Amino acid sequence: MSPDDFSEDNLKKHLADMSWVEKNIRLHEKVIEEIMKAQAVLPFKFGTVFESEANVEKLLKTKNTEFKAALANLDGKEEWGLKIYCNSGYFKDALCSKDERIIEKEKEILSAGKGKAFFLKKKKDEIIKDIINEKISEYTKDCFERLKITAVDNKINNVLPKEVTEKQEDMVLNAAFLINNKRIKELENGLAYLRTKYTDKGLIFDCTGPWPPYNFCHKV
Amino acid sequence: MNNPIKTTQDKSLPLRGIGRTTPLGKKSYLGPSLKDRKAYPSGLDLRKKERVTLLEILDRALEKGVVISGDIVISVADVDLVYLGLKVLLSSVETMERLRGAPFAGATEEPT
Repeated sequence: MSPDDFSEDNLKKHLADMSWVEKNIRLHEKVIEEIMKAQAVLPFKFGTVFESEANVEKLLKTKNTEFKAALANLDGKEEWGLKIYCNSGYFKDALCSKDERIIEKEKEILSAGKGKAFFLKKKKDEIIKDIINEKISEYTKDCFERLKITAVDNKINNVLPKEVTEKQEDMVLNAAFLINNKRIKELENGLAYLRTKYTDKGLIFDCTGPWPPYNFCHKV
Repeated sequence: MNNPIKTTQDKSLPLRGIGRTTPLGKKSYLGPSLKDRKAYPSGLDLRKKERVTLLEILDRALEKGVVISGDIVISVADVDLVYLGLKVLLSSVETMERLRGAPFAGATEEPT
């Protein structure tokens, strides 16, 4: 890899090429993880390129205190990611049979004329959508709060759309936790509990780690 | 448990070596205990799993991490990246926001 690869123009071109990105970002990640085996790491965003070694030294000197403090805070901790997905079709079936608002609407629909029934059905669909959103909010909030207590720090990120995840279910939570590496068991237990509680309700949990603390570097 | 939802992503995913062991081993997926793990996935599954891992890396290294700006770096920290089916495109902020959606309501945003 030559320095030219990282000129502003070339880098922009490269970033539009998925295979270039994949190859180099995996390398970026691999290097960081190797170092992580030995000590705390402050991972930089991919594509950060210094013009010279002298510049790197300059940065280290200028930001010496901040970097040291950040590393001290990250020492002995790991980032774990939690993504929760929801099979909302599953919700729909389970909820429709039970919710009073839906039962009411269905009664109205049965007794209404054709035209009115059409609008009532639309209304019913809206209500179903609201109920599903309420429930999902309630459940994911519970999940997040339970795991939050096992962590030193947490971050909620935007959910990723299906086009990106290539899953059939919707992502309903995308969170990162910074956890003391001696307390991973608590996360594990918390997650096991949540799985027992929510799998039947349609939630799917995807928890991965340990990751370099990308989500917890913002203080630098 | 009646009719459990299939949690396919909880099953045997290849462990990425990271060296440091956690109670569960290397880069683990906190799923069922090790003895439940099925056989190593087929070629097709493996490609899919690799894509899932790549997504996790992209979601971190492209979007997060320390950002240095100013004249000591030639970085593209300000470039907005959007991904559509894992194809990385340069796009406007609005498109990125539209595709990424919003966090759920009532969540505690991370504390300072």
